Amino acid sequence: MSPESTALPMLHVSTPAGERYETVIDLERVRAAHHPLYRERQTVSADGNVAAALATLQMWRCILYAGFPITPSTKWLETVAVKVAEDAHGIKRVKLLEAEHAVADYLVGAAAACRDLIFPTATSSVGLDHMTETTRSLGASGLGNVMLIDVYRATANFPLCIEGDPSDTLAHRDDGFIQIACRGKQQIYDTILQSPCLGMHPDVMTPTMPGFYGIKDSHRSARLTVEPDHEIHEFQDRWIEPCQLPGLINGDTALGNCVTSRFFQGFKLAQKRRLERSLDVLPMIGADFERTFGRPGLAYFDSVGWREAERVDLAVVSMGPDFGTFEALRPDYEKRTGLKVAGLAMRLLTPFPREAVRLKLANASAVLVVNQAHHVGRGHLTLDVADALSNLPSPPRVVSAFAGLGGADVSEDTWEAMLDGAREALDGKRTPPWRLYHEGRAL
Amino acid sequence: MRSTPLDLSSLLQGSTLEMRGDGKAGGGLVLAFQSLAALMMTDPGLHVQEWPFFSSARRGAGIRSFLRVSRNPVAASCEVTRPALSLLMDEAAARSVDFAEGVPHGGTFVINTRRTPEQCARHFRLTGRVLTVAGDDVGTRFLKHAIGNVSAYVAVATAIGGFPWEQVRDSFLASLRKRRIPEGLIARNREALEASAAAVTSGEFDFAADADHRAAPFEGYGALPVGAQTALRLSQKNRTADYARSGFRLRFADPKDACTGCAHCVTNCPEGIIRFRPDAERVLVVTGVDVSTFCKLCGECIAVCPEKLFVEAPYQEAWTEEEVPA
Repeated sequence: MSPESTALPMLHVSTPAGERYETVIDLERVRAAHHPLYRERQTVSADGNVAAALATLQMWRCILYAGFPITPSTKWLETVAVKVAEDAHGIKRVKLLEAEHAVADYLVGAAAACRDLIFPTATSSVGLDHMTETTRSLGASGLGNVMLIDVYRATANFPLCIEGDPSDTLAHRDDGFIQIACRGKQQIYDTILQSPCLGMHPDVMTPTMPGFYGIKDSHRSARLTVEPDHEIHEFQDRWIEPCQLPGLINGDTALGNCVTSRFFQGFKLAQKRRLERSLDVLPMIGADFERTFGRPGLAYFDSVGWREAERVDLAVVSMGPDFGTFEALRPDYEKRTGLKVAGLAMRLLTPFPREAVRLKLANASAVLVVNQAHHVGRGHLTLDVADALSNLPSPPRVVSAFAGLGGADVSEDTWEAMLDGAREALDGKRTPPWRLYHEGRAL
Repeated sequence: MRSTPLDLSSLLQGSTLEMRGDGKAGGGLVLAFQSLAALMMTDPGLHVQEWPFFSSARRGAGIRSFLRVSRNPVAASCEVTRPALSLLMDEAAARSVDFAEGVPHGGTFVINTRRTPEQCARHFRLTGRVLTVAGDDVGTRFLKHAIGNVSAYVAVATAIGGFPWEQVRDSFLASLRKRRIPEGLIARNREALEASAAAVTSGEFDFAADADHRAAPFEGYGALPVGAQTALRLSQKNRTADYARSGFRLRFADPKDACTGCAHCVTNCPEGIIRFRPDAERVLVVTGVDVSTFCKLCGECIAVCPEKLFVEAPYQEAWTEEEVPA
């Protein structure tokens, strides 16, 4: 069958928000042209970058991978490039650009032109900073089909550090992306499969920024269960519908419009509402993922050690793979101290799930928040948690700690020192606004 | 002498086997540990976690690798500080770190070296099982490159035990194929693997005092300069020679008094270790270079010298006589 005989007539549609050209991209042909990476469920060995790359390669809606390499996210781009090159007759393409700003601009153009396809890239640290001019606009653009995978690395800093520290993603809270933190290979893979479903939901239409710790997760190998491509497609297609235009003045000109302040506020309000709508949609996607694949789907946080309707003495709030060390030592710490200790590993960073965090932490006597990014005050997570608890009649004491800055190791001794420090709050003692811990001691 | 294996199945009863390796970037440590992880993952009942830690992002810089193996899912994410098995991939790396730190007495030590297990046990003050293999020699013979990771992998797999030789060999070769290594090179690696298996020697020793290899308590950062730039960058505080490529040192020789006094080497050396004397005719004449502590073999002087007076020369890590008792 020749392409001419299958081509659909172009349908030009005018809407109040702009123009659509319905059949310029024949989605069914794109879908049919996908060459599956996996035809059945398999267990493979992978590090975080490879897990992220495999997830994007398995989506039929991902056909164009723009990128610029930067440690520690480089292997995402390398893996994608190798797999695309191996598939000689495939339609997927890699576009290596001259800098991160160019990548972000490229994503805007491609994503605005093909709103039903997904456009991923990966970057880190200063790479994300270089994109900032465009990411701010992207966050507001309604282009939920952009997925910027952030492999956490200390952001533009003095001195430089190439290891995993979420200060890059946390410095971009206001870019307007839905920011989801992952820990472990499986969660990275699963999150990237679900993220576009959230970002492209017609009520949300907000780009996503799934992320994971550089080195600690990007370079850590372990088993990974990969799903067959066709099941991934069925899952995603249940959530991704033909995209409506974003709420721009002219939908065909995604960026660059100038409005008066009066309207600027209106757009920001709409942007905020779309972002917050993700709080409702995310659990639904997560539940569907769990039903489909049998593993936990998207959630606001991972909960460890919470018993139904039971008070805990000390609650820990943190994120990333170092939470696993706490998870491993928690039972022994409980036995030794006689305290009930539970924890939340935050997954959804932006928008911060205030209500869910408040409900969970209302049952705690004190809360230890462990921040892993440099902050001028008590810590990004601490401020969010304190805000979430502010409406409680008698909120738990919040104790703020920093550890693992620049990707430094957070040892078992460090965790125990932080927990011991937080116990001072349980004893009614005054605690400092924050403490920085390393190798088992407060500095 | 073949080694008695660790008995993996009893080791993993209710606990986690933790391993650590020390080497230098570019020396193959990461591949060795990735291959060990792949070998462990051939047992579907094992949960495996493997990752490297890089310091400076350059060839020759210190690097560590970690591996955890358990029958249960591995949640802990922190670095391995009390490994049951420690690998020293590169003797020069031991100048900067104590590769045996935290290994309990009775642990297992694997060292890529020409020296005997007893020499190593005495020199590094080790108590436990010591396996040595001259991996760089094996690499030179079969791979035309003094890289000991093939042999180190075999020695560690031997120390752990529990996997048939064919599986040990094929798992490493599979790791190479995953990296798209040409088949010809894979065949030479196969020969290197076989030769390594015959080259591993071991013994049990007790040379460590109780206080040996304990981690020093962290004393804080002290006073760092504002911006933390100069003191961290300049070699004079930092022994950057430890970042040099192993097995080589910079050599300066000017038997024909050919130095033109152009001073390119002096101005390009990032460490300020080129020695010279004033000269009335040529302004200055280079007389040598202090390679003992700060030369990281960046090669700038080699590249810029118009008379080719600097070269990289082979070098073997030297132990003083009292460090290697007879």
